[in-house]
Amino acid sequence: MTNSIDEIRDSEMMFVIGSNTTEAHPIIAMEMKRARQRGAKLVVADPRKIWLAEMADLHLQLKPGTDVWLLSAMAHVIIEEDLHDKAFIAKHTTDFESVAQKVKSYSPEAAEEITGVPAEDIRTAARWYASTKAAGIYYTLGITEHTHGTDNVYCLANLVLMTGHLGVRSAGMNPLRGQNNVQGANDAGATPIYYPGYQKVVDPSIREIFESAWGVSLSPNNGINLNEMMKEMARGNLKAVYVMGEDIVISEPNVTKVEVGLNACEFVVCQEIFHNETTRFADVILPGACFAEKDGIFTNSDRRVQRVRKAVDPPGNARPDWEILCDIARASGYDMPDYPSSKEVFAEFASLTPQLRGMSYDRLEANVKGLHWPCPDEDHPGTPTLHLDGPIIGVAPFQAVDYRPSDELPDNDYPLVLSTGRTLYHYNSATQTRRDAGPVAKQRGNFIEIHRRDAKILGIAHGDKVEVSSRRGTIQAEAWVSPRVRFGCIWMPMHFAENRANLLTNDAGDAITGTGEYKVCAVRVRRSKQATEALAEVASG
Amino acid sequence: MSDSFHIKLDGKSVSASSGETVFEVAKREGVEIPTLCHDTRLEPVGACRVCLVEVAGQRRLQPGCAWVVTPDMEIQTQSDRIERHRKVLYNLYKSDHDLDDARLPLETGNGNQLRELCQTVPDMNLAPVEAPRSDRPMDDNPYIQFEPDLCILCARCTRYCDEVEAVNAITLSNRGSATTIATAGQRSLIDTTCELCGGCIDTCPTGALIEKKAPKNLVQLGGTESVRSTCNFCGVGCQLNLHVQNERVVKVTSPEPGETLNDGNLCVKGRFAYDFIHHKDRITEPLIRDANGDLQPATWEEAIAATSAGLNRVREKYGSDALGFISSSRCTGEENYLMQKVARAAFGTNNVHQCAAT
Repeated sequence: MTNSIDEIRDSEMMFVIGSNTTEAHPIIAMEMKRARQRGAKLVVADPRKIWLAEMADLHLQLKPGTDVWLLSAMAHVIIEEDLHDKAFIAKHTTDFESVAQKVKSYSPEAAEEITGVPAEDIRTAARWYASTKAAGIYYTLGITEHTHGTDNVYCLANLVLMTGHLGVRSAGMNPLRGQNNVQGANDAGATPIYYPGYQKVVDPSIREIFESAWGVSLSPNNGINLNEMMKEMARGNLKAVYVMGEDIVISEPNVTKVEVGLNACEFVVCQEIFHNETTRFADVILPGACFAEKDGIFTNSDRRVQRVRKAVDPPGNARPDWEILCDIARASGYDMPDYPSSKEVFAEFASLTPQLRGMSYDRLEANVKGLHWPCPDEDHPGTPTLHLDGPIIGVAPFQAVDYRPSDELPDNDYPLVLSTGRTLYHYNSATQTRRDAGPVAKQRGNFIEIHRRDAKILGIAHGDKVEVSSRRGTIQAEAWVSPRVRFGCIWMPMHFAENRANLLTNDAGDAITGTGEYKVCAVRVRRSKQATEALAEVASG
Repeated sequence: MSDSFHIKLDGKSVSASSGETVFEVAKREGVEIPTLCHDTRLEPVGACRVCLVEVAGQRRLQPGCAWVVTPDMEIQTQSDRIERHRKVLYNLYKSDHDLDDARLPLETGNGNQLRELCQTVPDMNLAPVEAPRSDRPMDDNPYIQFEPDLCILCARCTRYCDEVEAVNAITLSNRGSATTIATAGQRSLIDTTCELCGGCIDTCPTGALIEKKAPKNLVQLGGTESVRSTCNFCGVGCQLNLHVQNERVVKVTSPEPGETLNDGNLCVKGRFAYDFIHHKDRITEPLIRDANGDLQPATWEEAIAATSAGLNRVREKYGSDALGFISSSRCTGEENYLMQKVARAAFGTNNVHQCAAT
């Protein structure tokens, strides 16, 4: 997020796109509700009539995968009606003309054809957004989990730049991160192309710094991302994987291929707190510690570094994950320092990461609200709002983007569009939340949301057991005939191991990030055989 | 913008801004005005009458939580009149409240602020009133319990449900002494719009709303250790207090409103989904798969050696880039740092990633 969560309540307008905030980020949603009650305008763009859409001034219920059209049409309106911030554009950006040219052909009327959103609504949203000062964009995986996810993000950035909504309180460009520490994991360099602090592994001068800090020579080549790892495993090129705290056989797209890959691996090690779908493939399982059993930091969506503190011991012989990793390195011949505690690990991590250099456990202890990076030195108070003095990189380039359809579109065999996501009650692979009574009482098993007309065509009633198939697999679910989804679209949560949504999803990835297309794949739905038989039995009996 | 001016608070001149309430100014000045129905997250309603103060020129006592200050206003937060008022008020509350043997409001494990207030005034021994407030005996939700005999109808819970969580699952229902906190049709919370956030429990000043699964003796014991940490679910970064009793996390609460980014709020997962920590299914020892494909318990030495040997075998046979390291955005920053260091420094590959993209 360019701006901090605390700023949301003072917004004058919120443009929420591809984020089911009340379910995926409930406490951020509370701030949005507060802003709404104080009179802020709320525009929600989502293929589903999500909870937030019901309290919105405007809901743009676009067809899944047509975001580039919607956002380009908004840019079209802003430029056509001369609502763009010419002074900001001139001072802080480049390549505006390329975008201005590009979006000329994205008229709201043409966009209505593609997105299904009324042209007038697109105009209204664009006018509100461009003419409100404290207008923030909030997005989540509905934007990024597409083969054109990066293009979607570029389109949003274009809107922010052309309206000067950068470096303004309660405005900005705000991706809400999915996991507790997804920001921190990236900051820490758990990515194939960056060392900690987004420093490129292919840059020899950077590599030298890390070679000298770690006392070894390092690979000069970019690694491969998770999506590519899964594919290389299936192709037989990746021969061993070390999986810590992730159930890839639930969470990756097209998991049948992931299972083939794991079976082909010569060695699989899992470091986990529970047995899950992935540990079935493990040669060695190392019992780790959950968050309540160790010290460390999590970095949240607004770049805020906060402490995690040990409250209880890990069960049995389980150990904090950081200790296990050190032992593995030493046993494998690397001279890993003997860190007395996670504090010293953080100190080393922060010393090599320019954005965190001014942070320490002592400072985090003294700042109960956490510290936002960048925090370059010990006297720096942290940076809740980015770009206050103009874009950090100097000038921000606009990116002209062409619409590309999703990789797999519905056809006669698979006529419906499936989008997957999370619910309020469960979390990812749900090994934690399915062990608690409340989430289970609310949501016991897998379900789909389906439009009443689709349900009628398919002869499906609310509560029927159905079979959902894509070209990659078939699973069972309960049908919820729901007013939330569009005609021709269904939605399914990703949480349930016995009916994994990711047996269906498409593993085609975004060209730059490798993020899979979880939000769009073609499926068919029919009443499941067992359910039909059971019903027939009742009818005849 | 807000104008700044002076008012007299207990005879002392203090600065205030337009729009501020007596309660807010007093709090800033370190003058404590007791209240039961007020919560900084909610619009003030002046329902409980505990915070009444004397305002010069006003014939009646006025609620400090809702009374907006104006220039040169004179406020008294303590006086014989206020003391008399509080004595009667607290005793009236007691006449409609479950009391213990010492004739003090019952403690249910969630803190009862009325109990603390009643200890400051003498008992008037008022006869109990008949208050047929109904509860929801059929409510089988696993987390939230309502004890109508401890409810003072301050409506913090229903206002929280409306103003903060905005799901309106609970409401004040019925009239007069039968007024109660109800769901639509007295259904179980599970079958309403309730999202089980537990904010109603958090805001309840008397413990009329309590956690079903937390031990009921936490307050009496007083000895539970509370550890501040960060929630391990989504990316908001809510701060938690983990309450530990006998080496177990037995309750999770939020720090006070205003202290941290979550402003006293938590969701169902953050507040309640902690059973996994001590669940019997946790993996408690290293496991190594044997020749028959079965997992066998092992020592740490064996497991570390097996892991290292397995990874090194592949590295020697196919090269470093035949290895993949999948780190975790659920683990700490330090662990992610170490995972990429292990991949890069110990095994010579940049093939390290995590679920950033899922």
